[in-house]
Amino acid sequence: MTEYLRNPLTGVWFALTAITIFSWWIGQGQGSAYQLDAAITVSVLVMAALKAVLVIAWFMEVRLGPAWLKRTTYGWASGLLVLLLLFYWLRV
Amino acid sequence: MTTTAADTTPRPPAGRAGYMPGEPGMWFFIIGDLFIFAVYFVAYMIYRGQQPELFLHSQQFLSPGIGVINTLILLTSSWCLALGTEAARKGNSAAAFRLLAATFAIGALFPLLKMVEWVPKLAAGHSPGENLFFMYYYVMTGLHLCHVLLGLVIIGFMLRHLRHRASPDIKFIEAGAVYWHMVDLLWLVLFALFYLMR
Amino acid sequence: MNIATAALAGTLADSGRPWYKSPKLDQYICFWSVPVFYNLFGLVFVPLSWMMPPRSPTNSIDGVVAFMQSPNLLLATTILILCVALSAVGNAVYMSQMRRMAVSPVLRYAFVVGAITGAIVGCLFPMFCFGLGAFREGYDPEVLQLLYDFGYMSFIGCLGCFFLNWSCLGLSILLDEKQTLPRWLGYYTIWQSVTEIFAMTLWVSDSGPFAWDGVMTFWFNMLLYVPWQFIVYFCIYRAIRQQPESELDNAPYVGGAARA
Repeated sequence: MTEYLRNPLTGVWFALTAITIFSWWIGQGQGSAYQLDAAITVSVLVMAALKAVLVIAWFMEVRLGPAWLKRTTYGWASGLLVLLLLFYWLRV
Repeated sequence: MTTTAADTTPRPPAGRAGYMPGEPGMWFFIIGDLFIFAVYFVAYMIYRGQQPELFLHSQQFLSPGIGVINTLILLTSSWCLALGTEAARKGNSAAAFRLLAATFAIGALFPLLKMVEWVPKLAAGHSPGENLFFMYYYVMTGLHLCHVLLGLVIIGFMLRHLRHRASPDIKFIEAGAVYWHMVDLLWLVLFALFYLMR
Repeated sequence: MNIATAALAGTLADSGRPWYKSPKLDQYICFWSVPVFYNLFGLVFVPLSWMMPPRSPTNSIDGVVAFMQSPNLLLATTILILCVALSAVGNAVYMSQMRRMAVSPVLRYAFVVGAITGAIVGCLFPMFCFGLGAFREGYDPEVLQLLYDFGYMSFIGCLGCFFLNWSCLGLSILLDEKQTLPRWLGYYTIWQSVTEIFAMTLWVSDSGPFAWDGVMTFWFNMLLYVPWQFIVYFCIYRAIRQQPESELDNAPYVGGAARA
């Protein structure tokens, strides 16, 4: 059992859980009024992208994969983040 | 057939070749699915920008509490699956089986919680036809739920495969695992887009 | 004659002989009907009648009446009557490859049921609806509206049948140990069939991205479907070419002592 605690994957899981709970807390906002809030949106989306990269690299094992796979998957995460922020900014 | 399974843990690649988990054709599907969902995510953001008040107002009826629990459920089941894949590679089929069983048990909570989340909402009258936000919400999370259910079926097949085998087909295990991690990955974005962002 | 020699003999025979004497002539005739069908289909639905891209569900009643009573629709349906049966031939081309695969026949039975249902609902129903509306003058606008809705609902809504049959095709390709068609095509097929589920939303939305003419239900689907359709037929053509002649159903009957 303890070898699981020493496994780097468990460290990744802790990080993912912590970021998730933190972003959920941020997403609750300051009060009950739901308003446009760039700070919340940007931080929540950036954290989602960060979690995505962790899952891709460690769970999907892309960090050990061929270069084209790394480019495609990390590119997907970063490209998606950029496009989401861009279209959010264009309207806000 | 040999009963001593070799340790096939991938080493960090020496050159650019790298080690590709699962089979190459399957990555076509994974990357393709990521692409489809990405297009829908961006379309959602564009349409949200056109009617922010509608989306913000409707968002209040969602249950972020259930959302975050579901996120943690998927992350934990993915963690068990990643550990299980490693165990299968090391030849420890018994541990791999236990970990995949945990993956399945934890992952199966997701559709249950989804029903707990959706049924009261639908009963309260928030159907997909109510407005564009709810249409997107039910369609995207519904499509994701179909992927989760398929993933559970795949894990079921992996469990059956592991049960009586000392040296399982690693490529098959890896392929199924990558699919489940993709399902987890998509939910991370869905959670942020529907439940958290303002 | 062992398998390797037979395959070689098949390939050599293919190249050293006029095309009309090929034992695969029947398959090639059926195969080449496919581009004929799609071109006719495309011409009929798009520039001739503008049934496609779909008219809007929120079209005004006058717009609906003008569209439905256009004489181009009658010309379109006349041509459609002749070419709609070619869709059956096109589906049979898929079936002939699925028959070669080392999978249970249940998958190709399901495939053909999905294909037939899809063709009836997706091709015949719109043909009748749009043709009916143009057939006589003086129909009540409400009746024309009903036919208009019925026609488009059928055309886009039939995607559920195609989801079934493309999934069967994809599954067959993946389970086939003989790799009649390449494995990546199986994954590609299942991937593109997923987008067909989005057609479900057309019942709930009459405008916006989820309506029958919406970005999510129609345009994005077309973007993914069209390249896939080309690629599938290209792979099938290759599979027909590569099939050893000794495996053909007409192998015992086609002349020549060498083909035993």
